[in-house]
Order: sequence, then structure tokens, then C-alpha cells
Amino acid sequence: MNRSFLCLLVAGFALFAVPGMTAEYLLRVDGLGCPFCAYGIEKRLRTLDGIKDIEFDIAKGEVILTTEKGITLNREQIRAKVKEAGFTLRALSVREDSADGASTP
Amino acid sequence: MVPVRLRTAWLLLAFLAWGEAGNAAPVTFNTALPVAKGMFVFRELFVVRRARGHQRKAKGWTSVSVLGYGIDPRWAVFAVLPVVGGKSLSFPTSAGRRQRSAAGLGDLLLFGRYTVYQHDLPGQTLRLAPFAGVEFPTGDDHERDAAGRLPPPLQPGSGSWDAVAGVVASWQTLAWEVDAQLGYRLNTEAHDFKAGDRIALDASWQQRLWPRRLTSGLPGFLYGVLEVNGSYQWRNRISGHKDPDSGGWRLFLTPGLQYAARRWVVEGVVQLPVVQDLNGRALKDDWIVRAGFRIAF
Repeated sequence: MNRSFLCLLVAGFALFAVPGMTAEYLLRVDGLGCPFCAYGIEKRLRTLDGIKDIEFDIAKGEVILTTEKGITLNREQIRAKVKEAGFTLRALSVREDSADGASTP
Repeated sequence: MVPVRLRTAWLLLAFLAWGEAGNAAPVTFNTALPVAKGMFVFRELFVVRRARGHQRKAKGWTSVSVLGYGIDPRWAVFAVLPVVGGKSLSFPTSAGRRQRSAAGLGDLLLFGRYTVYQHDLPGQTLRLAPFAGVEFPTGDDHERDAAGRLPPPLQPGSGSWDAVAGVVASWQTLAWEVDAQLGYRLNTEAHDFKAGDRIALDASWQQRLWPRRLTSGLPGFLYGVLEVNGSYQWRNRISGHKDPDSGGWRLFLTPGLQYAARRWVVEGVVQLPVVQDLNGRALKDDWIVRAGFRIAF
């Protein structure tokens, strides 16, 4: 009875587990010089679909953009949003995470 | 009837109260920093001032509301609306000391700013933006007291259509920021009164005091602020005649503090007169305090 229940539990997880990858984008933005200016970048980036989280490292001029699972963005989309905020995208790199949180370079 | 000289003394003060209300950092004037597309910036600034001269005393406070909106990365539009909480002038008469005062809505200023030059580097930006706008006679300009209609300088509104134009430059780094603005105000006539046109040169330096060293994340910045506000105003005209007790040169030194977070800023400065080479018997400022906040949404 206990073994049957355990098998049922594992099968249930296999059925309902949602596969997919979150994506993390590292943006290097030129022109960013104060915290109040950063909000403009956040506001424009959040108009993109599937944005999960936005973090800043102002000392490095970096914006870390995390999307929902299954959402991918292209360079031109991101560049356009940074430009709409009034700044310049200098570099962009992408890092994808697996569903269990392990990173894939 | 208030003598002409007394009336005109207030004009400079009334003019300065709205004319120098800035929109973003710096505190006393505009900046060339971007307002993101679709973003609003709201600023509320409280201005309190004291002035005196020739046995007269003037005081007042004004709440100045500013709303800015980014149309696109280069274009931003702003609306500036002062509300005069109260301003008064006391002066000696043969019957003793008298006081006249007023409060009410001021004139609405609408202006646009366009970034013509932008150079972004890691952690810094250099911008140049001309601006121009119109001030509408929306303010109260028929205030009265027991002695009759208040003179134009005491009225919350001017009753006239006026224009402003200029250019502002900003150089911002992670450690400091420098701004400079050259502006001109063209005044027109209303109720037989024309305020003198005014040209102003303002400069601001903001130095990050804290955190002393940036590590990671997005901390709030505490800035020390030092501004210089210089202006020259031409003489007023009353019924077509120049008022000898109006116009002149002014220079203020303006220290203050500013704290900038991601979506809000609080700031305050005090303007201290260094030079007041005014014509005739115009009132001279003792000090002007400006304090307020900004929010982005």
C-alpha cells in the first residue's frame, strides 16, 4: 500500500511538472549615473512581455533582466527599450537557467 | 492707492518665485537629463522668501507643482503651476504701518525640452537641450482688499501672456553632476503693467556624499548641492513709463542637500544673496528657501 502510494505520487509529479527555462540577460548600459535615472530603464523594460525581475548594479552600469519561463527576447527589442528610456545599450549577454535553477552557460 | 515704487518692488519677488522653480536635479532650475518615454515625473517645491528695504518688509510662500512627461527619449514636456499660499507687503504710512496681502492660483507655464546632443559613456552622460514655453494668464489677477484692487506685483497671477526660452546642459557621472542653464523670459503687458524681461544664468554642482564608495545594487545617493543663480531684469513699465525702482542684477549662492532613490527624491536649498545691485528702492531678498520632493511613475 505504501509503495503503491509512493509510485502514484511520483507519477503525479511527472505529469504536472512544467518543463522550461528562465532566461537572464545582462545588459551594460551607458549614460546611467543616478538611481532616479534607473527607474526610466525599468519602466521601459517592463513593457516587454514576460519580464519576471529587473535588478541594477549601478556601479558597473549593469541591468540584470530575468524573464518568465519560455520567454526569450532579442537584442533589438532590448536595445529599443533602453533607447526609449534615454540611454545607450553598450553590450548584451544571455544566460539561461534550467527549470531546477541550475545555470547553463 | 499704493505708491508705484512700493508696487513695483514686489514684481521681482513674484517673478522669481515661479521663474526659478526647477523641474529635476538641480533644485532651482531645469536639467537636460532624460525623462523616459511614457514616464511621468511629478515635483512639488515649497518656496519661502523674505525681503526688505526702505522700511518695507515682504514675505511669502508658494507651492509650485511641476509635472513632466517623456514623449520620446528626446522630447519632454512640462507643466508648472504655482499656488501662492500667501504673500504680503508691509509699509509705513502717515496713519501707521499697513499691510496688504494676497493668496491664490498663479499662472500656468507649459514648456517643452528637446535633447539635441547626447553622449553616453559607462557611468556618465553629457546632454544639451534647448527649451521653450508659454505662460498662460490663468492666475488670480483681480484680488482686492479694503483699500481696493491690489497692485500687480501682489497679485498671484500676472494677467499677461509671457514666454520663456533657453538652453540647458548637463554632465552627470556616478560621483557628481554639473548643470548649467541660460534662460530668457519675455513679459507682455496686462492692466497697464509690463514686467521687465529677464535673463538668467544658473549653474549647479551636485557631489555624491554617500555612499562614499559604490559596491553593488542600486543604493540611494545623498548629494551635497551648490548652485549659483544670476539674473538681470530690465525695468518694469507702468502705463508705458519705465519704473525707476525696478530691475537690476541679482546673484545668489545656493547650498543644499538632495537624496535620490530609485523612484523619489527629496531636496532642499537656501538661496543667499551675494549681489543685489537693484535700481532705485527695489526690495532686496534676505533669503529664499526651497524644499520639496519628486516622484517618478
